[in-house]
Amino acid sequence: MKTFNTGGIHPPESKFTGNSAIEVMPLPAELAIPMNQHLGKPAKPIVKLNDEVKKGQLIGEADGFISANVHASTSGKIKAIKSHPHPGGQYAMTIFITPDGKDEWAEGLDTVAADWKRFSKDEILKKIKDAGIVGMGGAGFPTNVKLSPPPDKKIDTIILNGAECEPFLTADHRLMVESAEQVVIGMEIMASLLPAPVKLAIGVESNKPDAIAALEKFAAPKQIEVVSLKTKYPQGAEKQLINAITGRKVAEGELPFDKGCIVQNIGTAAAVFDAVCRNRPLIERVLTVSGMEITQRKNISARIGTGFKDIIAFCGSMSDKTNQVISGGPMMGKAIFSLDVPVVKTTSGILFINNRSLDKSRERTCIRCGRCVEVCPQGLAPWLLANTAQLKQFDEIQLIGLANCTECGSCTYVCPSGRELVHWIKYAKALVSSRQKRKSA
Amino acid sequence: MNMISDAFLPAVSSLGAVALALGIIIHYVSKKFHVEDDPTVKLVNGILPGVNCGACGFPSCGQFAEVLVETRNPAMTCPVGGADLAAKLGETLGMAMAEPKPQTAVVLCQGNNDVARQSAEYLGIQDCWAATQAFAGPKQCRYSCLGLGSCIAWCDFGAMRLENGLIVIDKDLCTGCAACIPACPTGVLVMQNKQAARYFIACNSHDKGAGTKKACDAGCIACQKCVKVCEDNAIVIDNFLARIVQDKCTACGKCIEVCPTKVNCIRLENDLNAVKQKQAS
Amino acid sequence: MDSVKLKVSYAPFVHTKDSIESVMYNVALALAPATVMSIYLFGMPALLVTVICIVSCIGFEWLMDTIRKKPASCLDGSAFVTGLLLALNVPSNLPIWMLVVGSFIAIAAAKHVFGGLGHNIFNPALVARVFLLVSFPAAMTSWPVPFSIDMQTAASPLGILKTDGVEAAMKSLDLMNGFYGTMNGSMGETSALALLAGAAWLFYKRYITIYIPFTMLGSVLLFSAIFHMIDPSAYAPPLFHLVTGGLILGAFFMATDMVTSPLSIRGQVIFGLGCGLLTAVIRLWGGYPEGVSFAILIMNGFVPLIDNWDLNERKAIHQKKSEKK
Repeated sequence: MKTFNTGGIHPPESKFTGNSAIEVMPLPAELAIPMNQHLGKPAKPIVKLNDEVKKGQLIGEADGFISANVHASTSGKIKAIKSHPHPGGQYAMTIFITPDGKDEWAEGLDTVAADWKRFSKDEILKKIKDAGIVGMGGAGFPTNVKLSPPPDKKIDTIILNGAECEPFLTADHRLMVESAEQVVIGMEIMASLLPAPVKLAIGVESNKPDAIAALEKFAAPKQIEVVSLKTKYPQGAEKQLINAITGRKVAEGELPFDKGCIVQNIGTAAAVFDAVCRNRPLIERVLTVSGMEITQRKNISARIGTGFKDIIAFCGSMSDKTNQVISGGPMMGKAIFSLDVPVVKTTSGILFINNRSLDKSRERTCIRCGRCVEVCPQGLAPWLLANTAQLKQFDEIQLIGLANCTECGSCTYVCPSGRELVHWIKYAKALVSSRQKRKSA
Repeated sequence: MNMISDAFLPAVSSLGAVALALGIIIHYVSKKFHVEDDPTVKLVNGILPGVNCGACGFPSCGQFAEVLVETRNPAMTCPVGGADLAAKLGETLGMAMAEPKPQTAVVLCQGNNDVARQSAEYLGIQDCWAATQAFAGPKQCRYSCLGLGSCIAWCDFGAMRLENGLIVIDKDLCTGCAACIPACPTGVLVMQNKQAARYFIACNSHDKGAGTKKACDAGCIACQKCVKVCEDNAIVIDNFLARIVQDKCTACGKCIEVCPTKVNCIRLENDLNAVKQKQAS
Repeated sequence: MDSVKLKVSYAPFVHTKDSIESVMYNVALALAPATVMSIYLFGMPALLVTVICIVSCIGFEWLMDTIRKKPASCLDGSAFVTGLLLALNVPSNLPIWMLVVGSFIAIAAAKHVFGGLGHNIFNPALVARVFLLVSFPAAMTSWPVPFSIDMQTAASPLGILKTDGVEAAMKSLDLMNGFYGTMNGSMGETSALALLAGAAWLFYKRYITIYIPFTMLGSVLLFSAIFHMIDPSAYAPPLFHLVTGGLILGAFFMATDMVTSPLSIRGQVIFGLGCGLLTAVIRLWGGYPEGVSFAILIMNGFVPLIDNWDLNERKAIHQKKSEKK
């Protein structure tokens, strides 16, 4: 079985919802749609207060090259445009829509499934861009940008990331089981955009045999390889996935392009199918609601902009012992600071947990056990990075591979002294970039 | 007797010979490679505060002294030493030195734990920059002083302290070196002229009035009242936040009377009475 | 739902159950077979020595924390392990006051002077052992004979090797007895079997890696084998070196001490090789019959250098990369 070659951990999988079918969540009473649901510049709002919008209508326009369109998730009236908490931890300009209940599609959208081969490359790329599709694994890089690599980079492999190595999350898993055909077609569409024919591979962790079987059925006739990967975190991290499937190593400062690879998420492939064949922009996504402190754990399909409170109501209730609500997975997600935050394009899950290790003084002295070095998938020395960050040596820290850290969290997970290694690294990254900004200013 | 001549003498004489030889070498080397120090640099360095705060733009007082003696640039100033130091330096170098404008750091926030509403409790690394990597901050107002005190470690003069979730600056101790400014991720620390008694708005919130009011009792809600009452046209509202143009403010104090916020967001830089007495005399 | 107060921290939100305590008490658990074995061999005095060492180490830890105004760490297990290791490193008939002095040296002089847990350069238990050895050589080298009721003492096989030569030493010891543990020696050194059982537990829990112990044992074996082949009458066979003295205790429990060993794999290999060679050199030609403690302490001193070398290597890789760009 294939896997990446350095480090990795085996956290308890806790995938409670692997067998529960995706439930469609009813339309909430209000939708809050943030303008930055992607990497890059936030979209520009192009609607005004009290405007009537239709489902799928463009309400935020991509602003610049690395940016993405944002659409109304249902038909209704614009209630407010203001700054609002975002699941990423910050505030963001957000458009509030009061649904009119009709859920009417805007003209020309949601057509009968068409054969994508009718469209030219430019048409497909434009459809993907117009639909506002971004990487749905968590980073949210605009997909159309990712699919137009610089001409000097020769791409020979497209990898679809079905590893879903984060504990608890099963959204991609269910999508692979229930919409295997759409996922495979979405992948074909993406591959067709590249100048030369490429190798296609779908990487799935071996703990999802039903997903592998479902994909095989559609993938085999189309020469797409479904690769069973060892269940090990962070198997689904871009660099580790490339290493596991192709054996290539993406070095510091390099992008997957440089090694001839493009990695796309399962959800992204399904969204590409919807956009190209059915003219449906990205207005809903599948996510996992789980954790020990929610009564009904589910996989749900929710509209972008659905508030976390509505989701809690839909999934029973959360217990009083909850002390953290996490947007994303437990290894790389964000603890939200307000329950007002909405679901965005990159929300792969919502977890309700009672984190017992929370304590201001939880960090203790390093006993040099070397576990962090052992598990680091990037071959770094996290303890050294954290110590250097604590000493505020921000020139020194760049020499020992700060930029190479992918913040997977494996080191913090294993540290017996409870040190917040990733957080220190993140802190150093923030200060290094702020110093650079000031220097150039 | 025998023992001394047998064991003691050879040891002492050989060690003595080695010591003598090394001493001669050291003496020769120190003569040969002697570097003439500029005595003025030493003198200037002696006058400088010697705290190596970096406010002058040089990493240390020593380098400042070297460059100053070499270039004799009268515009080079030491903000920490102030006018007194400039005079002393001028005396030493026999030239007129520019006087630095004494500055002080001020906190554009009054959101202590009594007036600012809290958002979620923060339990990560207790550092402001680390906190901003996790979320917008432990206070509802995302423009506020986060109250984790990262700037304190950067202050060489002990002028900063944390009081009730808010940084307080001791203006007598603050030398205006600006080392704390980059330590603040929300930008509530700014440098301001130290001597002139002028008002400033102690708020950093660019939220609309209603949003600011919801988050904090001491926030500027951009009500325009102070703008209307100001006779010197010294107050402007910029992106939902009033700002007092320092050159125009005459410290008449009218704005402070009309400000409707519970905890007045307009603050006087220096003691108003002292200035008024000065004007009267 | 309204009663829920959200708390924010940074990812990840799940952690292993490992803690400093679990690491330390697992090491203590791994030393349990050897401790039980020594109590079986040497009787109640051994139990007394163990208890005195552990209690006085924890006591000094508490005292030092109090003096240094640090949060109390005396029960985090590190002082417990230090005390236990010290007990296993001394003869069971050592006077109590010497044990207390040894514990003080271990905790105060070897650990807290450097900044407490995680900052010490030298293994505290070994520093204490060496301190006792050079201060009270007579008491530290007259080893009780196992199962003796009247505290009869004798030299250890390594001592015999040093004074009376290979033949006498080989006669004094059946190698299998050395393996099971019924030979003269310090409390923890005697039974290789019990020590290996404990080490197996540590490997299973992944608290130690194979690099240090195996390179150390391997280099001792290789080095002594070479000289045994050259002159069997002057140099003892390698297996004799393996089972006698504190080699196994040192290789698996002292050299692998997390705080005082290198972090990178190649650093650990160098460290293990150094420990092994120094041990063999001291045993073959040194003034002391036993060299494990000295070897490990000397190599402890090299750890910052080894780690720094690794650090510079990382920087060099980075610089090469940026030049390429």
